[in-house]
Amino acid sequence: MLELHRVSYRYAGYATAVLHDIELTIADGEIVGLVGPNEAGKSTLCLVASGLAPASIGGALSGSLSIDGELMAGRPPHELAERVAIGFQNPDTQLSGVTATVFEEVALGPMNLGLPVAETLARTREALATLGIEDIAERSPNRLSGGQGQLVALASLLAMHPRHVVLDEPTAQLDPEGTRLVGEALRALAATGTALLVTEHKTDLLDGLCQRIIVIDGGRIVLDGPAGDVLADERLPGWGVEPPSRIRLARAMAGRGLDLDLIAGTLR
Amino acid sequence: MSEADVAFLQRLAPPTPSSYHRLNPFTKALAAVAESIAAFVIGGYVGPLAIFGLAVLPAAAMAGVLRRLVRVSVVLTLPIAISVVLISVFTRAGSTVLFTVGPFDATVEGVDFAGQVLVRLITLSTAIGLFGLTTEPRAFVFDLERRGLSPQLAFAATATLEAIPAMLERAKVIQAAQRARGLDTEGRIADRLRGVLPLVGPVVLSSLTEVEERTLALEVRAFGRRGRRHLLWTMPEATWEAPLRWVLLAVLVVIVAARLTGAWPAIP
Amino acid sequence: MTAIALAGLVHVYPEGTRALDGVDLEIPAGQRLAIIGQNGSGKTTLVRHLNGLLRPTEGRVLLDGRDIRSLRVAHLARQVGLVFQNPDRQIFAGRVRAEVAFGPRNMGVRGAELDRVVGDALTAVGLAGQADTNPYDLGYSRRKLLALASILAMRTPVVVLDEPTTGQDARGVARVQAIVAALTAEGRTVIAISHDMEFVAEQFPRVVVMRDGRIVDDGPPGAVFAPERVGLLASTGLVPPPAARIGARLGLGATPTEHALLAALRTHRR
Repeated sequence: MLELHRVSYRYAGYATAVLHDIELTIADGEIVGLVGPNEAGKSTLCLVASGLAPASIGGALSGSLSIDGELMAGRPPHELAERVAIGFQNPDTQLSGVTATVFEEVALGPMNLGLPVAETLARTREALATLGIEDIAERSPNRLSGGQGQLVALASLLAMHPRHVVLDEPTAQLDPEGTRLVGEALRALAATGTALLVTEHKTDLLDGLCQRIIVIDGGRIVLDGPAGDVLADERLPGWGVEPPSRIRLARAMAGRGLDLDLIAGTLR
Repeated sequence: MSEADVAFLQRLAPPTPSSYHRLNPFTKALAAVAESIAAFVIGGYVGPLAIFGLAVLPAAAMAGVLRRLVRVSVVLTLPIAISVVLISVFTRAGSTVLFTVGPFDATVEGVDFAGQVLVRLITLSTAIGLFGLTTEPRAFVFDLERRGLSPQLAFAATATLEAIPAMLERAKVIQAAQRARGLDTEGRIADRLRGVLPLVGPVVLSSLTEVEERTLALEVRAFGRRGRRHLLWTMPEATWEAPLRWVLLAVLVVIVAARLTGAWPAIP
Repeated sequence: MTAIALAGLVHVYPEGTRALDGVDLEIPAGQRLAIIGQNGSGKTTLVRHLNGLLRPTEGRVLLDGRDIRSLRVAHLARQVGLVFQNPDRQIFAGRVRAEVAFGPRNMGVRGAELDRVVGDALTAVGLAGQADTNPYDLGYSRRKLLALASILAMRTPVVVLDEPTTGQDARGVARVQAIVAALTAEGRTVIAISHDMEFVAEQFPRVVVMRDGRIVDDGPPGAVFAPERVGLLASTGLVPPPAARIGARLGLGATPTEHALLAALRTHRR
C-alpha cells in the first residue's frame, strides 16, 4: 500500500509549490490512473509518490509518503528503489548508461538487489518476453528507437518485481501492439498484489485497466473516483483530457439507435 | 543454470579482440600505473623512453590500437605539453641562453627540463590511454567488485568512468541537433572549428544534467545498495597474471626505493 | 517548394541492424503525409535521411530531382526542418528564445526579422510568455512544443514531425493539428510520424505504412484503414482508428474518422 498524506511539494529554487494537499492511497493490487492537462503536476506527483522528490532531487515536501505503513522520509534513494519502482516520462532518463546490451540493462536491477545469477537471468528473460523484446536483447541500449527504449525501460522495472510502481506515460512512444502488451503486463503485475499509479494521456488504455482514476489540475486533485465514472465525467475535456474513444463515439452517435455495448465491445 | 546459459551470459562480456585485450583489467590497470609512476620516478630521457618504446608501444601494436592511441594521447596531452614547454623553456633560470623572444630568454636548462617533462608526459598519457582503449569501464569496475570493492565504491567509480563516454555521446547528439538547424560543421577545417564553439557551452551544461540523470537512473535500479552483487559475467584471467602483477609491483617498489635512497644509477 | 523522392533506400547501422530495406517513395511539394508502423520499423531512420543526418547505405535521396549525397546537412537544413521525437535530443540552449533563434540565425536572419520569426514561432506553439525561461524548467510537453517552434522558425519548405502528439494533452494535440493545417495552407510539405491513428486519419490525406524497413501500404486513410486491409495493418502491429473499427463492425465500409462514420451512418439509414 502506498499512501500520500496531505502532500505539498515545491522544487528546489522555486518560490511556489507545484502540488497542493495531495491525499492519495493506492491499495495492493490496485491500478490507479492519473490524468490531467499538461503542466498540471502529473510528473511531479510521480516523483513524489516514488520518494525521489525530495530524496534524490531535493525540494521541499510537506506531508508524508508512506509505504506499507512505514514513513519514507529520510530514506536513501536506493532503499526507496527497493520499495517503489518509477518509470520516467523520457525513457532516455531511465537508461543506466553503464551497460552495453539491452539484456544487461534489464538485468541491472535484479543484479543490484543481490539476487543469484540464475534468478537474475530468469527474471530478465521473463521481462523481455512479457514486453515482446527478446529479439533486441543483445542490441546496445543507446541505439534503440523511441518505442523500443520505452519498452526496455519498462522491462528493467518489471524485472525488479516491484511491489509498488509509478509510471509516467509508459506508452507515449509505443505502437498499439506495444501499448497492448504494456497494458497486459501491468494487469498481470497488479494481479500479484502490486500497487500501481499510471499517468497516461491515452484514456483508451486506462479504460478497463484501472479501478480508479484521479484527475489533477493546477497541482490539486480535482476528481477522484471509480474509473468508469471519471472517464464518463462531462468535465473531462475541460481539463484537457480526452475521454476514451468508446465514450466519445457513443456520444457522437447518440440518438441513432446504436447498441452502446457493441461500440464498447468493438473497441475493447 | 545450464551450460548454454553460462555461455550466453559470458557472451555479454566486453569483446576481447586481441591477446592484450584479453588480459585481466586489473593487470592492465596495474601495468598502466606502474609504467607511469616508474617514468616519473626514473626521470631523464632514457628511462621514460625505454618504458614507452619497449612496453607501451609493443603492447599497443599487439592490441591493434596504435593509431588510435597516438591520436588520443596527442589530443589529451597537447594543451598541457604546449603550456609546460612554453613555461619551462622561457622561465627556467639557466646560464646558457639559446635564443631570446622579447623579454624572455630560452636557456639550455629550460629546454632540457621541458624535454624531460615531455617524455614523461608521453609515457604517462600513452600508458593510461592504452588501458582506456583496451578496457571497458564496466569490465574494470566489475572486476574490482569481484575482488572485493564495495558496491558503493563501484557505484562511484562507474558513474565517474562512464561520465566521459557519456559526454562524448552527448556532444554527438547536440552536434546532430545543431547541424539539423543549419550549423555548418562539415567540410573545411575552418567550418569544423566554427562548429565546435557553439557545442562547448551546451555540452558542459548538459553534462551536469546528464550526471544527475544517470545518478537518478542508477539509484532507481537500487544501484549503491549494500551487500554483494552476483555479476553476470567475469573477465578472463590467466593463471600467470597474478604472479605477473606481483613482479610488476616488486619492480616498481625497487625502483622507487632505489630512487629515494639515492641508490639508483644516474642515467641521462 | 521542394519535391522529395527516395529510390531504393537502404540503411544498415554500424552494428548491423538493417533499418531500411529498399524504400521507394515520392512526395510531391506541398503534400501532407503520415508515416505509421510499429516500433523499430524504420520510420525515424527514414526521415533522418531527408536532411542528411543519416546517409544511405544504398539508394538515393532526391530533393527536387537533385541527389543530396554531395550536400551538407547545414545546407539541407534550409529545405528540410526535422523535429526530433525526443525534445531532449534537440534542445541545447539555456533560454527558450535562444533555442528558437538558433536555426534562423544560421540561415542569416538577423535583427527585427529574427525577433519576428522567433516571436511568431513561439506564439504558434503557445510559449510566447516563456521566451526567457530555461528550457529545462519546462515540462516535457512544453519542451516538445519548444522543439517544434525551433523548427517552425526556420520556415523550411518541408517540415518533418517525429511523433508530434506524444505527451500532449487534448489541447496540445489540437495545437499541433492547427500548426499542421497552417503549414499546409502556406503550401509547405508536412511529413509526420505518428502512432496516434486518430490524428493520422483526421489530418493526413496520405498514409504510408512501414514494416521491417519497407513500405507495405500507401494510400488515403480511407484505403489504408479500410476493413479489407485490416489484416495487412495488423501484420504491422497496428489497429485502425476507433471510428474505422466501428464502421467495419457495422458494415459501413471505410470510415477512418468520426466525421466519415457519422456520414456513413446517415447514408446507411436512408
